[in-house]
Amino acid sequence: MSEAPKERLFASLDLFREKVNDNARLRQMNRDWNRDIAVVARDLPEVEASISMREGQMDWQPQAVENPHIVLSAPADVLIGIFRGDSTPTEPYLDGSLTLRGTQEDVLRLDFVSLMIWGE
Amino acid sequence: MKRVFGVSLGSSQRDHTAQVQMLDEPIELQRKGTDGDLSRAEALIREIDGRVDAIGLGGIDVYLYARGERYTVRDGLRLMQAAEKTPAVDGSGIKDTLERDAVRYIAAQTNLLTPKTRVLMVSAVDRFGMAEAFVELGCPVVFGDLIFSAGMPYPITTLDELADIAHRILPEMGKMPFTMLYPTGKEQEGPQDEGRFREYYDAADVIAGDWHYIRKYLPERIDGKWILTNTTTSRDIEELRRRGATHVATTTPVMGGRSFGTNLIEAMIVALAQKRPEELGHEGYSAWLQRLRLTPRIEDLGGGPA
Repeated sequence: MSEAPKERLFASLDLFREKVNDNARLRQMNRDWNRDIAVVARDLPEVEASISMREGQMDWQPQAVENPHIVLSAPADVLIGIFRGDSTPTEPYLDGSLTLRGTQEDVLRLDFVSLMIWGE
Repeated sequence: MKRVFGVSLGSSQRDHTAQVQMLDEPIELQRKGTDGDLSRAEALIREIDGRVDAIGLGGIDVYLYARGERYTVRDGLRLMQAAEKTPAVDGSGIKDTLERDAVRYIAAQTNLLTPKTRVLMVSAVDRFGMAEAFVELGCPVVFGDLIFSAGMPYPITTLDELADIAHRILPEMGKMPFTMLYPTGKEQEGPQDEGRFREYYDAADVIAGDWHYIRKYLPERIDGKWILTNTTTSRDIEELRRRGATHVATTTPVMGGRSFGTNLIEAMIVALAQKRPEELGHEGYSAWLQRLRLTPRIEDLGGGPA
């Protein structure tokens, strides 16, 4: 595996974290939403990453998380596109390239987070 | 006799048939729920297409609005397009006028609504006319769109912010399965998480908007509050009375013990006018609403000002 996709994925998570944490309105919206989210790049099986949401703040770690509330799984390019705001989660979700496992409300909320940052 | 058929994504337990007279014209209204099954709803529309005078699409919106912008709900459009011969409508053709007028009527004719009345509108993008009417009246309003659709504890308090959030979210959300956004099927048969978000109900004098959203987190006690909604059944009214609501106002008339959705009222107008919705247009619908003289029905549940 070349390092480039892994680095690009991690850079996109950095950008996503910055956008979430810089958005005061989003922080308020998510103040009660404490969740662990596993990020699975299907074509990079050796890469592990997870997002944690705590009291409106987001962080991410380059490691797996036990018992995640949501599992976000897609090819690395799809994940990178979503975290960078190059694409919305909707189309890859509908065409099956992105799978989201979790409660319906959590899945919907994750979509809202992304759209609140990148939506036009 | 005109035949108007309502196909709903809602619970089949709320099915009903009624015969009504409108402008001396007998109309048979039939509502059939498909328990959240979009494919079943689509098949039913294809089955009745060409055999009834108009079709109402219930339990789903085709279009949502915020500040002059129209957003399409993909699943709703799919159902609308399944009817190739008979006009199919979702109520949005009359909702803006009917519900705006309902708020103004209640403010003018009763003591229930003053500029100090605190309003919780559970969702405004499906009722933007009603939302604007409350704001025009000067009421402090909480728009619960994020609370009730996504469980986010974020009260929207201005139409500007509502329009901004709608602009960010609805173009994409409209593509998602509608069942993710709105209670359908069995979810319509009772509160889903009774008492959650109670603080927003407690802080309001009026709870307004979509009945299934209102009921989604309805607390056990709502003493002294009144409700502005539609599509309530006699059982729903009894439930509100038991929980302490003082009044229920419905924006659509009560026929056969229940108030119908705006989709069925719009479908009735289409059937009476014998025109397609695009031929009627905003002015045509307004003229028909004036002819029908629809005013909200206000039911006193015991106690409270009227």
